[in-house]
Amino acid sequence: MITAGIDVGASSTKAVIMDGNKILAKFRQMAEGEEEYVINAALHGAIDAAGIKREDIGKIVATGAGAKNVDFADDIVTDISSGARGAVFEVPASRTVVDVGAEQARAVKCDAEGKLLDFATNERCAAGSGAFIESMARALQTDFVTFIDYHFKSDKDIPLNAQCAVFAESEVVSLINSTATTADISRAINNSIAERTSSMTRRVGIEQTVTVIGGVALNKGFLDSLQRFLETNVTVPADPIFTNAVGAALIAQG
Amino acid sequence: MFEKFSEILTNRHEYARDWKKRTGGKVVGFFCSYAPEEPLKAAGILPVRIIGGHKSSDKVAKYIAPNIGCSFCRDALGRGLEGDYDYLDGIVQGQTCLHTGEAFWVWQKHIPLEFSYFLAVPHSTQTIGREEYLAVEYAKFKTALEKWIGKEITNEDLDRGIESYNTNRQLIRQIFEYRQQDNPLVTGSEALDLALSGQIMDRDEHNAMMREVLKKLPERKMDRDPGTRIMIIGSVNTDREFMHMVEHECDIPATIVIDDTCTGIRYNFNDVNPQEDRLMAISLRYNHRPPCPNKDWPRRRRIPFIKHLIKAYKVDAVILFNHKFCQPHQLDNAVIEREMKAMGMPTLTLEFDIRIPIGQFRTRVEAMLETTMDII
Repeated sequence: MITAGIDVGASSTKAVIMDGNKILAKFRQMAEGEEEYVINAALHGAIDAAGIKREDIGKIVATGAGAKNVDFADDIVTDISSGARGAVFEVPASRTVVDVGAEQARAVKCDAEGKLLDFATNERCAAGSGAFIESMARALQTDFVTFIDYHFKSDKDIPLNAQCAVFAESEVVSLINSTATTADISRAINNSIAERTSSMTRRVGIEQTVTVIGGVALNKGFLDSLQRFLETNVTVPADPIFTNAVGAALIAQG
Repeated sequence: MFEKFSEILTNRHEYARDWKKRTGGKVVGFFCSYAPEEPLKAAGILPVRIIGGHKSSDKVAKYIAPNIGCSFCRDALGRGLEGDYDYLDGIVQGQTCLHTGEAFWVWQKHIPLEFSYFLAVPHSTQTIGREEYLAVEYAKFKTALEKWIGKEITNEDLDRGIESYNTNRQLIRQIFEYRQQDNPLVTGSEALDLALSGQIMDRDEHNAMMREVLKKLPERKMDRDPGTRIMIIGSVNTDREFMHMVEHECDIPATIVIDDTCTGIRYNFNDVNPQEDRLMAISLRYNHRPPCPNKDWPRRRRIPFIKHLIKAYKVDAVILFNHKFCQPHQLDNAVIEREMKAMGMPTLTLEFDIRIPIGQFRTRVEAMLETTMDII
């Protein structure tokens, strides 16, 4: 059966079309404009890329923060379950899944089938998520790629004490005006998010293999910091932004 | 069937004002459920539990720092400072945690009242001499009440107070028992409104309403899928929005079948056993009630109590909550969570605040519900 998984996230909507265990297409639509438009654009982008017709899709499962707004979905699952299912599909040894997106961060424990066993999430704060990195990169007047490069040019561990994204930004501005280099600050920002993520992961327990998904998994600086805090290596699927949508499409397969 | 309880709870201040008008009696607010209501009832006073309104108030931060003060106490005090409780003639605090004590002391100092009383309660309800100690404190409290109202509180008055409250707790428990059924005849939201409305109403009036419900309840037909059976554990639960979300807004069906909270079964679990010394009888009831973490040491008696309820109400999953900065419950919740997980019970821990992020909480509740079923 051909199925679709739609992950409506804070910064973009991702659609994945699968036929059994085969991924036919993936499409990402940035969250610009009305949500209804973004969701439809993501689905039709994926349909076009797969070269199929809308009616070829047997079942659609929505996931993510805006899943309830996918009015054509046959079913809804949380992005906690879809992330676990998708991560185990992409990295079969995954038993701990760390998902860091634009506004949410979570650690999930799952079994060999990708069934959710336990989880922990961040509280009402963006200081442990992708939006925080974007905001800090702006404060450093750099882009995301350069921000990551900077991380690896430093070996200093400067602590960021603030527990809030807004106050942390003030702290970063103070650091910019002190003797700290941009490289040191980039590393400090990644350390700060990684420390929060690590503490959340330890709450559910670290079981091998640890797989990191979500947009922040593309930040190699963050992964470097996270591995130090978790004291273990982590694995990242080829396309970690789409893992939740893949999981949703797989859940639709039944 | 429970709409009237919900309506009175929603309009609780109007109810209290109307009660005063109808009876000419005095109304006393109390913070923790360790304040003895029976002597107040015996004195012809309406005891009203002081709860928050899930609204912020800029008047509180002057007295309680928002980054350390328990969110429930800040909310409750905020309602007092905003004038919602302007009908109160007095306040009582039965000593439990420092946060409620702080709310009481600020209230006492900054909101004009005829009467206020801080009642000492044994720090642990496991110590030797606790029953005698509390009975003596009740005697002092009774004397203070008599001085205030200008008349003696007789044994017959105390008997009336005890009878009214015992009946109330028994009726609540009878209604709660219908939640043990495979398809519970009372939802968690209804049970909360039922029990909480009792804490702000004249118990005789509340009893009459419950008797009416009990006539019809056995024949009630529920047209909802009960889904996962949840137990909610924590302190004072007044979050009706949260209860409604769990039972009516999640994509996966669920019913809150029982609680261990001081607005639910913990408050209503045991009665006053009559004896010649009425104050000792009341002391025994409060000392032997299912404890709150402030009183539950050195042994944690809550855990066997919780396990008993899990079995009796066939609980599938547990939601643990603590109000932000409530240290006593935070401390207990860590141990309860460990115990629950050790018995394979899906457990979700949430931090309640004056306002909760309902969308984020819904995702977490749904994810926990997904762990109880096979969705893949």
